[in-house]
Amino acid sequence: MMMRIGVTVLALGLAAHAHAWDADKGAEKAKQVCAACHGETGTEAKVPGAAILAGQYRDYLYHSLLDYKTGKRKNAIMSGQAQALSDADMRNLAAYYARQSGPLKVVR
Amino acid sequence: MNRTLGLIVLALAFGAPASAQQAAKAGNAEAAKVKVSMCVGCHGIPDYRTAFPSVYHVPKIAGQSADYIAAALNAYRTGERLHPSMQGIAKSLSEQDIADLAAYYSAAAGGASR
Repeated sequence: MMMRIGVTVLALGLAAHAHAWDADKGAEKAKQVCAACHGETGTEAKVPGAAILAGQYRDYLYHSLLDYKTGKRKNAIMSGQAQALSDADMRNLAAYYARQSGPLKVVR
Repeated sequence: MNRTLGLIVLALAFGAPASAQQAAKAGNAEAAKVKVSMCVGCHGIPDYRTAFPSVYHVPKIAGQSADYIAAALNAYRTGERLHPSMQGIAKSLSEQDIADLAAYYSAAAGGASR
């Protein structure tokens, strides 16, 4: 019984860790690899065709990076960039950009 | 002579990006107003999520760059980007539709922030 609870607690702990969305860590990574094209806080398209990321939904951003990494989505620049990112990196970056304010909105 | 050369250099420097943009159609945001009905059912609802094939938020597209929106729609058309609903919709769009929608949504940042 105790062992079973222990295993459950461990599993929950690992699951929580695997799904950490650390925006502060994302900020570091963003500065290194994303800012040149997307702007430091993701509010710019510094190269034609780059997306504005600031304020976008976190799960959408993560999903996009995942699709680039797995090849489901193809782009000359992003396919390569995503290869270098771990799952944690992608979650952290998504959390960072979702937290920024920018021009993105939902309108009818 | 030098001045002529300078003007040629200047024309080349500014002419290159201008002609690249002309290759893509010029968008008319006003014309898009009758075309957005197929977009608003998902992209016009705050916090709306896709239900298939996986669940996540439908992206905010108002205020996005026009180049990016056009590139995304074209990528759905060619299959570089995969999503069943978006591929179906993108394939129904003409180049002019794509340009118009890109113009409309990139300029549509004035709405409520949500």
